[in-house]
Amino acid sequence: MKGVTVIFRRELAGLFLTPLAWVLLLAAVGLNGFLLIAMLRSSGGDVNGVLNFLLGLGGAYWMLMITLPPLLTMRSISEESKSGQLEFLLTAPVTDAAVVVGKHLAVCAFLAVLWSVVPLYGLVLQLTGVTPDWGQLGMGYLGAVLVSALFSGIGMLASAASSTPLLAAFLGFVFNIAVLLLPLGASSVGGRVGGLLQPIAERLNVLQHLQTSFMRGAFDTADLFFFLAWTGLFLFASVRIVEARRWWT
Amino acid sequence: MIQVERISRRFGSLEAVRDLSFEVARGEVVGLLGLNGAGKSTTMRMLTGYLPVSSGSISIGGHDVLTDSLAVRRQVGYLAEGVPLYKEHRVSEMLRFQGRLFGLSRARIKERTAHVLERVGLTDRARSLVGNLSKGMRQRVGIAVALLPAPDLLILDEPTSGLDPLQRVGVRDLCRELAQEHTVIISSHILPEIEAVCDRLILLHRGTKVADGTKAELLSAEGGSQLAVRVKAERLTHERFRADLAKAVPEAELTSSQEGPHHEAFLRCPADPSGRVGRLAAERGWVLTRLAWREASLEHLFGRLASGRMEEEAAQA
Repeated sequence: MKGVTVIFRRELAGLFLTPLAWVLLLAAVGLNGFLLIAMLRSSGGDVNGVLNFLLGLGGAYWMLMITLPPLLTMRSISEESKSGQLEFLLTAPVTDAAVVVGKHLAVCAFLAVLWSVVPLYGLVLQLTGVTPDWGQLGMGYLGAVLVSALFSGIGMLASAASSTPLLAAFLGFVFNIAVLLLPLGASSVGGRVGGLLQPIAERLNVLQHLQTSFMRGAFDTADLFFFLAWTGLFLFASVRIVEARRWWT
Repeated sequence: MIQVERISRRFGSLEAVRDLSFEVARGEVVGLLGLNGAGKSTTMRMLTGYLPVSSGSISIGGHDVLTDSLAVRRQVGYLAEGVPLYKEHRVSEMLRFQGRLFGLSRARIKERTAHVLERVGLTDRARSLVGNLSKGMRQRVGIAVALLPAPDLLILDEPTSGLDPLQRVGVRDLCRELAQEHTVIISSHILPEIEAVCDRLILLHRGTKVADGTKAELLSAEGGSQLAVRVKAERLTHERFRADLAKAVPEAELTSSQEGPHHEAFLRCPADPSGRVGRLAAERGWVLTRLAWREASLEHLFGRLASGRMEEEAAQA
């Protein structure tokens, strides 16, 4: 546990010391800000509708969700393995799991900061005299952080399994899309393949778990557990791959 | 301190280390020596537990490297090949990170940071970014990082590779100082470096141990220094040649050969007997065509062991 904290702090500091993180942050904040203004104008001031759009309903949200986590996690294992930094970490007195979880939490924290601009818009709107639905906004934000955690977990797995960051980012990106579209795919693909996909799709339905609670401003521990469990599963697989890497290299 | 028992490591079909065993006592300074690809780095990685052994076992300070890995890691300061440091951090931040990884208290980290920076002579560069340092300095930061938790065992993989001669001397002196307080294992493919620092040498070739001992032991095993003598004399019998030489230099071990009027001999002895052999040749009227003294050195030994092994293997195949 102590090891997780140490790794987490280093990784978070490391993220904020690289230009990539700042570029991504700027792009995401810029896009969200632009959308906020544009949508407020076109919707005639439907504050809650717009904030909901920014936290789950809109395409921009999902685009960021699919692309940002793999870009942030891509280097964490594959590149460090090549540069030898992973060797440094894995010969330090911390467990492999602490290294993987610490790195993952750092990416989650970064994404939590990134998504916090939307509640910040809420605050600005509040100050200008329009009170947003804070319950819905807060839950939407929590949902965004949980989805980020899940997709970062997938990114970690991709990074652990790839030899180069580019491949890791690509794999993470493709896998994120696959997970997101799995329920849709399973229902549209008929026959035997569809039958095979159906049970997985029912258990890994990100959209449904987000829409039934977090986006409506409701809190359901079952949905919370859904995200935590899947994230944990991907991290567990990542740890096993990091362990197995010692045998390949 | 370290017990290595019959370890092997395979990478696919390549056997990087084969049936290697050695022991290192507390306070010893051991040099792992070998050509590129001899298995030095692989051995060190197995010692730190980063690479699991394919077979055999390693125990450090009474803890098994694989089953009790964390206990081993707490005792070991390891500088990996290529000095992997986070370039975006400052030197002091890198040291603090290492201290936290080892669970040191804040006060202890501060104290140790000051100590190790002074040790490697980088006190004035504590605020510099690691990425902005020269290669020699980065190497010294790497040593400082390995040294920070005050480990019982220091494992330094090629600490002098890629340095200019002056920096190399600096790092070598540093290693020699460290040797007084820690158990140290250093690897290198550069002989003089290791010779200067280590009390004991382990020579690796193609993943197996070909020699293990102090410098003096290795040199005496190699046969020591020798004098090569070659004379031309028409009416000299080879037996006579040998007998005369043996009488003139009684302490030497003699091997010889003849080719027509040319007689050749090698005299193995601790001190150079050229004067006596020269006088003998003058008295007997031999024409001396060669008289060469060769001082034994690890370099010769190393070359011979390496090439000898290669020939052996070629003969087997």
